[in-house]
Amino acid sequence: MTSTATKAKVFLVDDHPLVREMLKSLIEQQPDMTACGEAEDAAKALKGIAADKPHVAIIDLSLKESSGLELIKQIKHRHPLVSQIVLSMHDEKLYAERAIRAGARGYVMKRESTKQIVAAIRAVRGGKLWLSETVSDAFAQRFVAAQPQAGSSLESLSDRELEVFNLLGKGLPTRQVAQSLNVSIKTVQAYCARIKQKLQLSSATELLREAMHWHESVG
Amino acid sequence: MFMLLLVMAIGLLDYVTGIEVSLSVVYAIPVSITAWYVGAVPALGLALLSVIVWIAGDLAAGLHPSNIMVPFFNALVRLVFYAFLTHVLVRLRYLQKNLEDLARVRAVALSHEIAERERLEREMLEISEREQRRIGQDLHDSLCQYLTGTAMAGQLLAEKLTRRELPEPREARKVVDLIEEAITLARGMAKGLHPVEMKSDGLMQALEEFCVSTSELFAVDCHFDCQMPVLIESQSTAIHLYRIAQEGVGNAIKHGRPTRIIVQLEEIEEGTQLVISDNGSGLPASAPSGNGMGLRIIADRAKMIGGRFRVDRGRFGGAELSCLIPHSQAAE
Repeated sequence: MTSTATKAKVFLVDDHPLVREMLKSLIEQQPDMTACGEAEDAAKALKGIAADKPHVAIIDLSLKESSGLELIKQIKHRHPLVSQIVLSMHDEKLYAERAIRAGARGYVMKRESTKQIVAAIRAVRGGKLWLSETVSDAFAQRFVAAQPQAGSSLESLSDRELEVFNLLGKGLPTRQVAQSLNVSIKTVQAYCARIKQKLQLSSATELLREAMHWHESVG
Repeated sequence: MFMLLLVMAIGLLDYVTGIEVSLSVVYAIPVSITAWYVGAVPALGLALLSVIVWIAGDLAAGLHPSNIMVPFFNALVRLVFYAFLTHVLVRLRYLQKNLEDLARVRAVALSHEIAERERLEREMLEISEREQRRIGQDLHDSLCQYLTGTAMAGQLLAEKLTRRELPEPREARKVVDLIEEAITLARGMAKGLHPVEMKSDGLMQALEEFCVSTSELFAVDCHFDCQMPVLIESQSTAIHLYRIAQEGVGNAIKHGRPTRIIVQLEEIEEGTQLVISDNGSGLPASAPSGNGMGLRIIADRAKMIGGRFRVDRGRFGGAELSCLIPHSQAAE
């Protein structure tokens, strides 16, 4: 009933050979999908995805020598049509949002991967997001709670706040940020609070990640 | 030199007072002092001199002994007495000095030993953390992945069985469920063994995760309060702070039965501070700070990373533990 042409082509990125092998067999077993290629690290993944042009890519967050989140961003940037699913050992409560923000369309934890991964591939192939109930609930809550503000972006930051944001992005500890701006740590804390509010970031961890990401993107 | 003059002065005094008054004991003073502070030979020399001065004085004062041998005999007796005195004093002085030296040497050795023991303790804790981290990483990166692969193999089998319309897929699915439970277990163990990732923001992340899982496991609202990024370069400082938080929260739940716990990580002027406060029943009045095994372990860990540890009544009515790592240590 399904022709080869409409089969979902799936590319696998995982640094563990056994996981790749089993995942591949599991996908091949399905009538409507096929495993078109695999890679163990980010460099090979980018090369392979460029060559194989898959519909779906399954990405492990912890790869050898590189972060899966970074890879997701790059794939999103170079191959926006590839739907990415994160398959990770890491807890969804902490990484699902980051992965989605980086460009993934789904998040499956490895401990429940076996039954879900196939369903997840079908879902993202059909243009849907695939997240566990817990995570999508949290997303919805956040969306309802967040007051949509006029420009929750960097433009809303004052010069001083932007400076703090930039220094944090460089990876400077708070104390050095305070020193280089010649203010007290308390003042930096106040800046951080305002930046978080303006950019709608929920925690200092998020603030740091956002700052580092911004710092990378502006070079 | 002064002692020589003293002997001369006593000799003169002896001469003036005449032969009826014997000043032999007075001569013992310079001899004793010399024996104590200078040594045996100078003391004996001085003793000889004293005897000569004494006889000379007595003869000059007009003593006419019945026998020429009498003053010599007296002088000999006196010399023997001084020699004995010198010997006793020198010996005493030697013993006392030895004792002092011995005490000093022992004190130095003891303080070395204490420093060495502290170093070993620190090293042991470090090694055990490193080993735990290694085992944790192996569990997470290796065993969990194998189990994931195995679960998928089971799922594959289940699907094949279904396709052939054989009756066993239920058992195969059961196997998959069991393996997935095993993954959850192994993951939990790995997390416990290796909670803090080796990045400067690892502690922030680890504490955030820890608070989330604590809230889930226990009926308590455990909140991580971190207003601005706190970066910790030293992996061992990070892991110790994490363990302190773990121990502190564990203590609070066990003893205080709070409904709310706040784990606060912040940068203040003095350094990096970790505060764990709760709204539980607080510290029992009978337990002053530093008592109890849990608190002792926390205090030890704090000391090991150069931190200052305190237990107080909390802001929310319960207990409050705080550990401050001053700048220099935090930067290491």
